[in-house]
Amino acid sequence: MAMPKYPIICERNGRRYFYRFSLHQRLQHIVLFTTVITLSLTGFPLKYHDQPWAEPIYNALGGIDHAPTIHRIVGSILLGLFVYHTIYWMYLFYTRRVLRLKKEGRLTLGNIGREFLAQEMVPNKKDFYDLIDMFKYLLYFTNRPPRYDRMSWKEKFDYYAPYWGIPILGPAGFVLWWRDEFSHILPGIAMNAFYIMHTDEALLAALFLFFVHWYNVHYSPEKFPLGTVFITGYLTEADMIHEHYAEYVRIMTEQGLQDEIKPQHH
Amino acid sequence: MGKSSFKTRVILFFAALLLFGAGGETYAEDELNCVLCHKHRGLSRIDENGNFRLFYINEALFEEGPHVRVKCMDCHQDISKIPHDPAKKVDCTTECHLTEPSGQKKFSHKPVADLLAKSVHGKLDAEGNAKEHQQDYPGCKDCHEEPLYRPLSFFKGKAPGISERGLSRCKTCHSTGNFAESFYKHVTSRLQKMRKPTEIVGICAKCHGDKGFQQRHDLDDVVTSYKETFHYKAIRFGSEETPDCMDCHVVKGESVHFIEGQDSPTSASNKQNVPTTCRTSECHEKAGPKLAGFQVHVTYDKDKYPLQHYMLKFFTALMAGVMYFFMVLIILELLRRLFPNFSFRKPPDDDHHSSK
Repeated sequence: MAMPKYPIICERNGRRYFYRFSLHQRLQHIVLFTTVITLSLTGFPLKYHDQPWAEPIYNALGGIDHAPTIHRIVGSILLGLFVYHTIYWMYLFYTRRVLRLKKEGRLTLGNIGREFLAQEMVPNKKDFYDLIDMFKYLLYFTNRPPRYDRMSWKEKFDYYAPYWGIPILGPAGFVLWWRDEFSHILPGIAMNAFYIMHTDEALLAALFLFFVHWYNVHYSPEKFPLGTVFITGYLTEADMIHEHYAEYVRIMTEQGLQDEIKPQHH
Repeated sequence: MGKSSFKTRVILFFAALLLFGAGGETYAEDELNCVLCHKHRGLSRIDENGNFRLFYINEALFEEGPHVRVKCMDCHQDISKIPHDPAKKVDCTTECHLTEPSGQKKFSHKPVADLLAKSVHGKLDAEGNAKEHQQDYPGCKDCHEEPLYRPLSFFKGKAPGISERGLSRCKTCHSTGNFAESFYKHVTSRLQKMRKPTEIVGICAKCHGDKGFQQRHDLDDVVTSYKETFHYKAIRFGSEETPDCMDCHVVKGESVHFIEGQDSPTSASNKQNVPTTCRTSECHEKAGPKLAGFQVHVTYDKDKYPLQHYMLKFFTALMAGVMYFFMVLIILELLRRLFPNFSFRKPPDDDHHSSK
């Protein structure tokens, strides 16, 4: 799927690096995490206003006079990114899959559906089997770790977290921001509901991102203190073997390097 | 020099102390120099009920308060000699020697006391019978410990404190004593809230935040629920723009002492009046009347607030489900790393040493 400007395997100083994310995708991710971190820093001090850490953090970000404005502007950027990303993958889906079907004269609803499900972020049967393999491994039924392909079920879960979180958090935040205007069309109790949605979903998102996601990409023993794929777009061979063994074997074979494939367990 | 003349000198010395205020800087209206004794931090005793009573007056604080121009004896009217006997509790409704300038009447807090008596905080019900749990109903000093002025400075923007430049304009004509300072503070402190909103919440919370009080009067924990709203959170971080208790529970233009229960048709928190209360010109001016449907004091009680109750349950369950699942996974994963070859089953297809 990689475009030619990103070689699938890049060799530097005798080490192999495997392509994962384009610059465009990395930029989207940078916008995503900077907005989410800023929103957390300007949001959670309000939720936990009685905690000793709340006031210094909030004041450092402009205090009550400015932090709410920052929160709203940054929230709007995140909503914008969400819309942009949705258009982005739809555009990719159309140009890479629908147009190809058209060219090949196989443009039927069924084929479009099949192509839709074949996208790399869509959960599939392999994810289910990988999950079973993972539990077998974690519970000592086998010594063979699961062999994930390009996107593991964990990464797909990470991906859908914003897809569930932003539609809940964003519109709720937007209504609370423009509460006076929305009060002409929505009942007052809707604001109560939006408030719970906004604050509780935000907590779930933050807990998940800063504990689970950051563990997966930064804190886990072979990554600590920082996984670098989000900056370079490339994954080291050791990480590929550890996290995407099925993809690793496939790429090495495709590139004619099958003799140099290393074992998964070492 | 004989003994008697020494005694006379001592008496004269103390008399001079009393008359000329040798006890340090005294405030203007202390004609009898009461602070000669009351300036001492340790001036205290154990009263008949065994309670510790402190009679120290902090002059610096007292001078910032609204009573600085009132003579001590105006409130402590039962004191007739010095040193005096134990003084009675001050009755705030007595007339003091200040004259209210617009009507030339003797000043008294009685109109405020009358309003309080009529309000939900009054000790008597509509029929004049004593309400249950008398001890829970507030008197003046339950909410007003010695109050302090919060003067505003209008020059170069609003800032707390006295504007020297503003004051200099008063002092050109009103140069006698500290009249200009007192008057400046009297007026400007009333152009904003007398106290910070967090202090007001604290005052109401003294009773309304008390679990026993809530049970005795069958009231919700309105303090905790209010603290969950953005109204309070903004206040908590220093804003004075969002409402504290008074802003929503006092009808606009009415005295803060006249708070009515929500059953009263004229109450600010009566269902019929909430749309007006929320949409006053300082607050949600542009909002529709439906905004009043927003529930401020949500306790998540299943019967009173079913929507919030079940939403909270849903999100708590979701959060617990996701986080427990992944936390267990992380722990298992970390443990597994320690024992990579520890599987109790070694099936023939366990091909981790092969390349595929």
